[in-house]
Amino acid sequence: MSFDWPTALPLIFAGLMGLAILIYVILDGFDLGIGILFAAAENAEQDTMIASIGPFWDANETWLVLAVGLLLVAFPMAHGTILSALYLPVFVLLVGLILRGVAFDFRAKVPAGKKQRWNRIFFIGSATASLAQGYMLGVYVLGLDVGLGGMAFGALVALCLSAAYAAMGSAWLIYKTEGDLQEKAVRWLRVTLVLTALGMVAVSLATPFASPRIFDKWFLWPQMLYLSPLPILSALLFLWLWRQTFHLPRPDDSHALTPFLTLAAIFALGFAGLAWSFYPFVVPDRLTIWQAASAPESLAFILVGTVVVLPIIIFYSFYAYRVFGGKATDLRYD
Amino acid sequence: MDPLILSRIQFGANISFHILFPAITIALGWVLLFFKLRYNATGDSAWMRAYFTWVKVFALSFAMGVVTGVTMSFQFGTNWPGYMQKVGNIAGPLLAYEILTAFFLEAAFLGIMLFGFRRVSNRIHTLATVLVAGGTTVSAFWIIALNSWMQTPAGFEMRDGVAHALDWWAVIFNPSMPYRLVHMLLASGLTVSFLVAGLSALRYLVGDRSESMWKALRTGVFTAAILIPIQIFAGDQHGLNTLEHQPQKIAAMEANWNTGPNVPLVLFALPDEAAKENRFELAIPDGASVVLRHSTSGVVPGLNDYPGNHPPVFPVFWGFRIMVGTGILMLIVSWSAAFFLKRRNSLPKPLALIMVPMTISGWVATLAGWYTTEIGRQPWLVTGVLKTADAVGPVAGSHVALTLAVYLILYVLLLIAYLGVLVHLALKAAKDGDASPLPGAMDAALSQQAAGE
Repeated sequence: MSFDWPTALPLIFAGLMGLAILIYVILDGFDLGIGILFAAAENAEQDTMIASIGPFWDANETWLVLAVGLLLVAFPMAHGTILSALYLPVFVLLVGLILRGVAFDFRAKVPAGKKQRWNRIFFIGSATASLAQGYMLGVYVLGLDVGLGGMAFGALVALCLSAAYAAMGSAWLIYKTEGDLQEKAVRWLRVTLVLTALGMVAVSLATPFASPRIFDKWFLWPQMLYLSPLPILSALLFLWLWRQTFHLPRPDDSHALTPFLTLAAIFALGFAGLAWSFYPFVVPDRLTIWQAASAPESLAFILVGTVVVLPIIIFYSFYAYRVFGGKATDLRYD
Repeated sequence: MDPLILSRIQFGANISFHILFPAITIALGWVLLFFKLRYNATGDSAWMRAYFTWVKVFALSFAMGVVTGVTMSFQFGTNWPGYMQKVGNIAGPLLAYEILTAFFLEAAFLGIMLFGFRRVSNRIHTLATVLVAGGTTVSAFWIIALNSWMQTPAGFEMRDGVAHALDWWAVIFNPSMPYRLVHMLLASGLTVSFLVAGLSALRYLVGDRSESMWKALRTGVFTAAILIPIQIFAGDQHGLNTLEHQPQKIAAMEANWNTGPNVPLVLFALPDEAAKENRFELAIPDGASVVLRHSTSGVVPGLNDYPGNHPPVFPVFWGFRIMVGTGILMLIVSWSAAFFLKRRNSLPKPLALIMVPMTISGWVATLAGWYTTEIGRQPWLVTGVLKTADAVGPVAGSHVALTLAVYLILYVLLLIAYLGVLVHLALKAAKDGDASPLPGAMDAALSQQAAGE
C-alpha cells in the first residue's frame, strides 16, 4: 500500500491523542492522587504535599486540554458522540477539577481560619475528578454502555482508577519527601497498589468479553503470543513494585523515583493494551478514526505546528521539573 | 424545558465566568513584568514587594482561568456538537494552536514565575515572567481569531455542508479580527489598571502609605489614564468595522428600526421589539448619523432591512450603553486621579472611595461589550454559515437545567471567595506595609553584590 496523507493523518493524530492522554494520566494522576491522599494526611504534611505538586499541576492539567482538544479538532464527530453520551460524568469531572484547581490557590491565600475548609474542598474535588474519570473509562470500555451493568462496572473502575491515582501520588511523595511522610507514602503505596492491580485485571477481562471483535483481537493464535508480553510484563512489574514497598525508603534514599517510574510503565502497558483493543475505533464499534476525522488540509495545518511545538513543549516541561527537582520545600513567592 | 435556550444560558454563564479571569491575567502578566523590570533597573525593593503582592492575585486568577477554561473545551462537545461538525475544520486548528503555542508555555513557566524566585537566576525569573505574559497574550490572539471568524467568516468554502479552509491567513486575519483583538487587549489593560488602582486605593483608605502601595497605585492610575482614550478610539474604529460587515448588529446597538438619514443617537430607550419602536426615547438629533457616517444626512442601517434575521434588540442596545457608560466613567475617574497624583502628589479621600468600587469596572465593561457583540451575532453562531439553533446537541433539557443550576451556584460561591481573597490580600499587604521581611529579594540582592554584578 502506498503512503497517502488522508490515510496517515488520522492515524498520526490518534497516536498523538493517545500520547497526550497517557501523559495526562501519568502526570495529573499523581497530583490528583495527592489530593485523594489529603484525607489521610496531617495538617503539616498537607503543606509539604502541596509543595511537591504546586509548581507542576497547571502544566499537568494542560495535557487534558490537549487530549480533549485533539479529540475535538481531529475527530470532531467522536468528540460530540462521546461527550454527549457521557454528559453527566463529564459535568461531575469538571466540577471536581474546578474545585480542586481553585482550592490549591485559595487554601494558601485565605485567612488561616478558612484553610481547613479549602483543604477539604481540595480532597473532595480531587476524589470526584478521579472517580469521574474512572467511571468514564469503564463506560467507554463497554462501548459507551450506560445501562445498569455499565454503570456498575463504571463504579468499579472509578474506585480502581482513583486507587491507581493515589498510588501514583504515593510514589511521587516517596520521591519528593523525606522522613515520616515518606514512610507513610510507602504504606499508602502498598495498599493502593492492590486496588490498582484489581482494576487493571477487571478492565483487561471486561474489555474482550464486552465485544467479540476485541476478544478475537486478543485470543486468536498467533496474536496471543505476540501480545502475551503486555500482561506478563505488567504482572511482573506489579509484583516487583509490591516487594519494593517492603524495602523503601532506603537509608541513602536511592531508588526513590523507582516506584513512580514503575507505575508509569505499568500505566503505559495498560494503555497500550487498551489502544490495541479499540484500534481502529475511536467510538467503540461505531466510528473509526477515519470516519470521525477532520478534513486532511485542516489536520495537515495542525500537524505542522505540532511537529514544531511539541518537542519544545516537552523540552521546557523537563526544564520546569528540573528547576523544582529534589525534595519538596516550602512554596514561597518571594 | 427547551435545551437550546438552556444550553445558550449555560454556555453564556460558563464563558462569562471564564472571561473574567483571562481579562485579568492577559494584562496583569505585563504589569508584573513592568514591576520586575523597574526592580531590575532601580534595585528598589518596593517594586519587588508590589510584584509579590500582585503575583498572588495573578496565581489565583490564573487558576480560576484554567479550570473554567477546561470546562469550555468540553462544552463544545457536550452541548454544541453541531458546531464542530460544521466548522470544525476551521475552529479545530485555531483551538489546537492556542493549546500548543500558549497554554503549555503559560502553564510550564507559571511555576517558575510564582515559586522560582530563589531557585533560578534573576534573569531566568524575568524571562519566565515574559513567557507567561506572552503566553496569555498569544492565547488571546488565537481565541479572538476564532471568535472573529465566527463574526466575519473569510478564507473558506462550503463543501457538502461542511466548511473547508482555503486560505489560513484570511481565516486568521479575517475582517474584524485586528479590531476585536486590539479592543480586547486594551480592555484587559483597563481591567487590570482599575483592579490595581482600586485595591491600592483600598490600602490607601485604611492608612497604608507604603512605597509599594504608591508604586502600584501610580502604575494603575497612569496606565488607565493612558489606555482609556486609546480604547475609546479603538472602540470607535471597531464599531465602524462592524457597520461595514455586520450592519444588523449596529442597527440593534442603536435601536434604529428604519434605514435612513438623520438618525438620532439614542441615549435612553426601552426598545419594544413587538411594536418595532422605542419607548421613553431620549436622543440627540442626527447623532448616530454623525458618529457612524460623519454627516447628519448619513444613512444608518435599520432593523427593517433584516426581518427575522437580526439579533434581539434590547440586550444588544443596553449592553452597548453599559459598556460605553462605564468607559466614560473610567475616563473621568482615571484622569482625575492622574491629575491629583501628578500635580498634588496626593489622592483625595472621596476619589479613593470612588476608586474602590471601580476595581471591577473593567469586568462590567468587558462583559457588557462581549454581550453586545455575541448576542449581536444572533441568530447566527457563525454568520451566514450556521445558526445557533442548528448546533445544539441531543442532550435532555433536564440534564442541561440540572448542570446549569450547579454551575451557577458554584460560580457565585467562587466569585464571592475570589473577591474576598482579593480584599484580604490587599488588607494584609496594607497591614504589612514595607515592614515585612522580603528574604528572597534580600538574598538575591546580596548574592548579586557578591557576584560583583
